[in-house]
Amino acid sequence: MNTTQPSTAHDDTKNAMTTETTERSDLSATTLRDNAEVAEALGRRYEAGFTTDIETEYLPAGLSEDIVRQLSALKNEPEWMTEWRLKAYRHWLTMPTPDWAKLNLSPIDYQSISYYAAPKSGPKSLDEVDPKLLETYDKLGVPLHERAKLAGVAVDAVFDSVSVGTTFRKELAEAGVIFCSMSEAIREHPELVQQYLGSVVPVGDNYFAALNSAVFSDGSFVFIPKGVRCPMELSTYFRINAINTGQFERTLIVCEDGAYVSYLEGCTAPMRDENQLHAAVVELVALEKAQIKYSTVQNWYPGDENGVGGIYNFVTKRGDCRGNDSKISWTQVETGSAITWKYPSCVLRGDRSVGEFYSVALTHHRQQADTGTKMIHIGKGTKSKIVSKGISAGRSSNSYRGLVKVEKGAEGARNYTQCDSLLIGKKCGAHTFPYMEVKNPTAIVEHEATTSKISDDQLFYCRSRGIGEEDAVSMIVDGFCKQVFRELPMEFAVEAKKLLEVSLEGAVG
Amino acid sequence: MSEPQRTPFVDSLLEAAAQARLPGSGIGWLDAARRENLEAFAAGGLPDTRMEAWKYTALRALGQRRFAPGDAQAATRSIDVSQFDLPGVDGPSLVFVNGVFRKDLSHVDQLPEGLSLQPLSQALLGDIEPLRFALSRHYREGGDVFARLNAALAGDGVVLRVAAGAQVKQAVRLLFIGAPAEGPLAWHVRHVIELGDGAELSLVEQHVSSGAQQDLGTQVADVVLRQGAKLRQVTLQKASEGSTLVRHDSVHLDADAHAELYVMELGGSLVRHDLHAVLAGDKSRLDTRGVFTLRGRQHIDTQMSIRHQALNTASESVWRGVADERSRGVFRGAIVVAEGADGSDASLSSKNLLLSGQAEIDTKPELEIYADEVKAAHGATVGQLDERSLFYLRSRGIPLAEARAMLTAAFCRAVFDGLADDGLREHINTQLMAHLPSA
Repeated sequence: MNTTQPSTAHDDTKNAMTTETTERSDLSATTLRDNAEVAEALGRRYEAGFTTDIETEYLPAGLSEDIVRQLSALKNEPEWMTEWRLKAYRHWLTMPTPDWAKLNLSPIDYQSISYYAAPKSGPKSLDEVDPKLLETYDKLGVPLHERAKLAGVAVDAVFDSVSVGTTFRKELAEAGVIFCSMSEAIREHPELVQQYLGSVVPVGDNYFAALNSAVFSDGSFVFIPKGVRCPMELSTYFRINAINTGQFERTLIVCEDGAYVSYLEGCTAPMRDENQLHAAVVELVALEKAQIKYSTVQNWYPGDENGVGGIYNFVTKRGDCRGNDSKISWTQVETGSAITWKYPSCVLRGDRSVGEFYSVALTHHRQQADTGTKMIHIGKGTKSKIVSKGISAGRSSNSYRGLVKVEKGAEGARNYTQCDSLLIGKKCGAHTFPYMEVKNPTAIVEHEATTSKISDDQLFYCRSRGIGEEDAVSMIVDGFCKQVFRELPMEFAVEAKKLLEVSLEGAVG
Repeated sequence: MSEPQRTPFVDSLLEAAAQARLPGSGIGWLDAARRENLEAFAAGGLPDTRMEAWKYTALRALGQRRFAPGDAQAATRSIDVSQFDLPGVDGPSLVFVNGVFRKDLSHVDQLPEGLSLQPLSQALLGDIEPLRFALSRHYREGGDVFARLNAALAGDGVVLRVAAGAQVKQAVRLLFIGAPAEGPLAWHVRHVIELGDGAELSLVEQHVSSGAQQDLGTQVADVVLRQGAKLRQVTLQKASEGSTLVRHDSVHLDADAHAELYVMELGGSLVRHDLHAVLAGDKSRLDTRGVFTLRGRQHIDTQMSIRHQALNTASESVWRGVADERSRGVFRGAIVVAEGADGSDASLSSKNLLLSGQAEIDTKPELEIYADEVKAAHGATVGQLDERSLFYLRSRGIPLAEARAMLTAAFCRAVFDGLADDGLREHINTQLMAHLPSA
């Protein structure tokens, strides 16, 4: 019987289940033998966990209207910007902290955070950037400076709160592309910023977005004019360095008619015992036939194996396909952060616009992730695709939370969602919370999810071919994530794969 | 949460509680449980859509309505029960009219061996200790507002027991009839059902109406399957078009127990069904099959949660929904595999047909997994009839309307294919065909 097109979904799901319920065979014996190795691997340190000792300028800890004004003044912002921030701050005060996510966190004291920390040296150009800072980026493997040229990637690096250097300025300017820090954009392109800032994520959108709107310190601004295909991949690296600070960056990318850009974002932070807050907002605007590809490799400090320290990552990312035939694609690899709360979304307003979301979220030790996407179909013939791969290990908790909403006018809308979870170990959790709300009878919405563990058969096969247990696991995990890695730009795909390997060390057994 | 507003709905039910003379009052623990649940109901009021469990079902309109405390004539209304007969279901039966037990319409004379079946009102006069556990429950979840109401006000219902090892051959039938009274009224029934070790039972729960009325009915059922017990329950819900019906079923399965639950939702204007199952014993198994077909302005909300908490447990759920005209179908199917429930095998499929531009389907399959030796999968779709299948039928000379009805019926009836009872299955299919849109 085949009465609906999606009617094979259930059967496929059943076939796609990979777990065998066979008894754990030789695993336990191996485990004992490898215990020493595992113990060592468990002690493995977060590689980006160093701090850089440079003079930093702080605002005193705490949040009030005065702090918001001071922050705005420090950044020489025009009056309208100050007012915009204050409006956000006043709205934030009226909002309750959201508690719907499947996260277990202690309340955040917003008064103990310093909302602005900047390297004191105040770089004017890349050559003046503190060498120590460059060293930091070197350690992180950021292709800043010469290395950037080799890699052909234009980089805007945000250190604590301030953007420290943007490479490839000239080449981009020739193409008509504006790629600069947000503070600069506010000064030099106020009309564009005023037009688009907050138009996708309004000031009072949610608790963390409101907080960000009030205190965001910097971020990247990208403007691709009509018909321009950005000649290179743009990239931002974020790093939290100073103690007791939060990072609140704001990214705004606007693609005019027919323009294209691929944008990469990476993040790290030093190891500290306190939880640090990161609340970013990313807004994407795609006009007619524009395409934006946004890739993230998030490797904030996840805390140690007992869950001490780590970044609280509360991020609002939203793309608005305003024009017909536009496309926004999110790809994310989330391995870091003690807590991840992040739902990159697409508002498919334009007819035939396309939204995509590819995600790998890995949690280990006591990390918690509640992440997913929202696809809001408004225009006719809109399409969306969601592929989410969750991997939980240790005592972590990993949730996919997604919404696919088809509004009345979204004639012929189509969505396909696949979320798979992989469990490594007995103490972790993997959860799936997909919401589907359909109001148009011509739409087709499909969702499939499976949860399984690495099958003993697969492991045994690899082991019988002389592949060590950890290598085998990382091979299998790599295969599990392939669908998403394929969507990443090449350099990022390599990095992502490496990150997964490192993050999973000590997870087996 | 802010202070709940005292709505006419809450007021009218609190008034009903004040004048109620419930069977069993005077029993200390029962009075206490009723009082505390009533207090919780009064304090919590009706939830709004900000509460996750009621996200897609707004109760604002219901909150503005008042219901009379019950039907004084329920015991004497004349009703022709034969119109609700089901083929092949002629065993013992309990009949309730507007929530009141009708001995004259029921058949409890010659009960098969091992079966004990009586109305709650009567059971409360005898040994009440076995009922204590179920009836002293407190509903603490904010969303369980109707269960609280029921716990406070239910004076009748079904107490059914099957002794260990007994196999009841004939299907037992529970019939709930809504009959038109002077005005909208509220009735509440409370069931306690237990199958002893190795017991087997086939149960049919039927909700019907003998006219058009706009009542509120609430039902809470606690079903316990002891080791190796087998239950097959078929629920046919065809309440009157204007009625509000809220059912809250808890099913508990011990080791090796097996429950098969079939649900067909056709009637009612606002229908909510909570089904919470716990697979508490090793190798227990639950199969659920359900169909809801909606038209007009019907709103049917099914909230199912299945918790695997023992070794090698299995659950399989297949649900179909059809929404036409201005109706709204809501389905949530949550599967939880608790820590240590290794070897669990869970699957859920929720497929839905959206037939009109004014209708809406909201579906939310959930997985919450805390063990790693498991198989868990769910699939959900919302779509429409396959154009190619329609074309095929039309090319064979079948008119469009008929072709659509055929395909829609086929979409639904597959759910009941596994139902062993032929007569009942055919009856269900006929009912479905009659209810489905023909154009």
